[in-house]
Amino acid sequence: MKTGLTRLLPYALILLVTLALVWIDKPFWIQLAIGVAITAITALAWDILSRTGQVSLGSAAFFGIGSYTLAIFEPLIGLTLAWIAVVVVCALAATLLGLLTLRLRRMYFAIATLGFALSMQVLVVVFPDLTGGSGGIAPPVLADGDPRWQLGLIGLLLLAAVALSDALLGLRFRPAFFMIRTKPELAAASGVPVVRMKIFAFIVSGVLIGLAGACYGGLYGYVVPTDVFTTNWSVLPLAIATLGGMDTTIGPLLGAIALKALEEVARSVIGGTGYQVVYGAVIILFVIAMPQGIVGLLRKAGTLAGRRTAAGEKKKERERHA
Amino acid sequence: MPDTASPDPTRRSAPPSGGAILAVEDLTVAFGGLKALDGVSLSIAAGEITGLIGPNGSGKSTLVNTVSGQLPVRGGRIRLHGGDVTGRRPDRIVRAGMARTYQIPRVPPTLTVEEVLSVPLLYAGRDRHRLPGLGDAASIAAFCGLGPLFRRFCGDLSVTDLRRLEIARALACAPDLLLLDEAMAGLSHEDSVEVMGLIRNVHGQGISIVIIEHLMRVITTLCHRVVVLNNGRLLAEGAPATVLADQAVREAYLGKGFAS
Repeated sequence: MKTGLTRLLPYALILLVTLALVWIDKPFWIQLAIGVAITAITALAWDILSRTGQVSLGSAAFFGIGSYTLAIFEPLIGLTLAWIAVVVVCALAATLLGLLTLRLRRMYFAIATLGFALSMQVLVVVFPDLTGGSGGIAPPVLADGDPRWQLGLIGLLLLAAVALSDALLGLRFRPAFFMIRTKPELAAASGVPVVRMKIFAFIVSGVLIGLAGACYGGLYGYVVPTDVFTTNWSVLPLAIATLGGMDTTIGPLLGAIALKALEEVARSVIGGTGYQVVYGAVIILFVIAMPQGIVGLLRKAGTLAGRRTAAGEKKKERERHA
Repeated sequence: MPDTASPDPTRRSAPPSGGAILAVEDLTVAFGGLKALDGVSLSIAAGEITGLIGPNGSGKSTLVNTVSGQLPVRGGRIRLHGGDVTGRRPDRIVRAGMARTYQIPRVPPTLTVEEVLSVPLLYAGRDRHRLPGLGDAASIAAFCGLGPLFRRFCGDLSVTDLRRLEIARALACAPDLLLLDEAMAGLSHEDSVEVMGLIRNVHGQGISIVIIEHLMRVITTLCHRVVVLNNGRLLAEGAPATVLADQAVREAYLGKGFAS
């Protein structure tokens, strides 16, 4: 069904755009690309989790845990180990949250994960000695503050997220994940260790978001709780994946690009803070108009075009015979 | 010494190889204070097709859900191949050799027949050499009459084909014992005859089968033995003709006034 070439498309897109922007070295475009890449990673991670039926509103928790873990551990154990700590802490948090929410379905799961993200923000403010409280914390600056290298590193992380997403869309995982989402009992009756698979998806998703959060914190070397533990980072991945097209790899990528473009256009046309209202409304309209997202729209256009060429061929054929 | 075992006229295919493949001892399952199964003991003979019947609410589905590991056991033991599987996870029980189907198959509509069958093939972890010619998704689909629909999406399948797919999915677990939960419900006469043929072919592969069924026609044509549940207890068991003529069984099914 899917040819090798279309499968390579996301990788080629990321590589080309990243290299081109590093080459051109225009600060505005580099900052824009960094923003797109970070949100794309969180959206891919959200989508990976949602394939097992776990619709999370807790992405912000992992985004914040990532940046705070890097900031807290770097002075204690050094930069390399601190990055490893980000992976370990996010994996532990994902396991814990995954086990706690295991039996919750749909809306209840979403509310529980949202509650987790909100309580993390409170936790940070309650322990100011460790976390700096509401005053914020200073994670190590990514790539010595050189935006081009920052984009390069975040681009690499995005490539890793894309590769993970693709691997989890392969025959080994996709059918089992979808079966868990549709009817977990049926998956179990087919030999799938449902709990282990759900926790596994949670860990992959949580670690990816945590790494994205750590990168985000490292952009300027300074974060405050309201910067990372905000509901924005919980809703954005969901909105992007839905807008772009769920259960795909290219969907969250296209969604991230579309959303950023929309935001920039709205900002320059409307300006102030009013642009956020318009921007939100446009997202809602898009989601209503395209339930299958951009990917669904492209697929539909593809079949239409295919039909048109097929019809054209037939017509030519008929004319030739006439 | 001559073979003294005379063929039973009710047996349609391979004779039983003897011994219990599944044994349930004093099984009790309760939802709150309500006992859905109340001290049920029975055994399923290897190589046979056993019918599990009883009025609505008698505990048939509870029994299937419990032995397949999806309901917690309040008391008693479940043995598969003589090994204790009480309280084991459903996926482990599948790996131990017991597969089940669902009455209402809910498969992801965006998966193809091939992809659905790939799940048990990848995860059930069973030795597939036991079922020669049924080691891959394509041959299992063909065996179940789904060959032409192999690459179709499940969302486009008819109810009958979804039933076939459900049997195919269970077959892909390479089971020794297959529990069929009302595989014929809601099918037309022609379709149910076809599915019955399929069940017979599955049995021909040396797989023991338990059928939950309301249609007596199915029980009398397919089953070697029948087990009757009523109010969570074992009411009767034996050959179909004997059991269905039993006064207590008729009363349980039809009510006291009609049975006599």
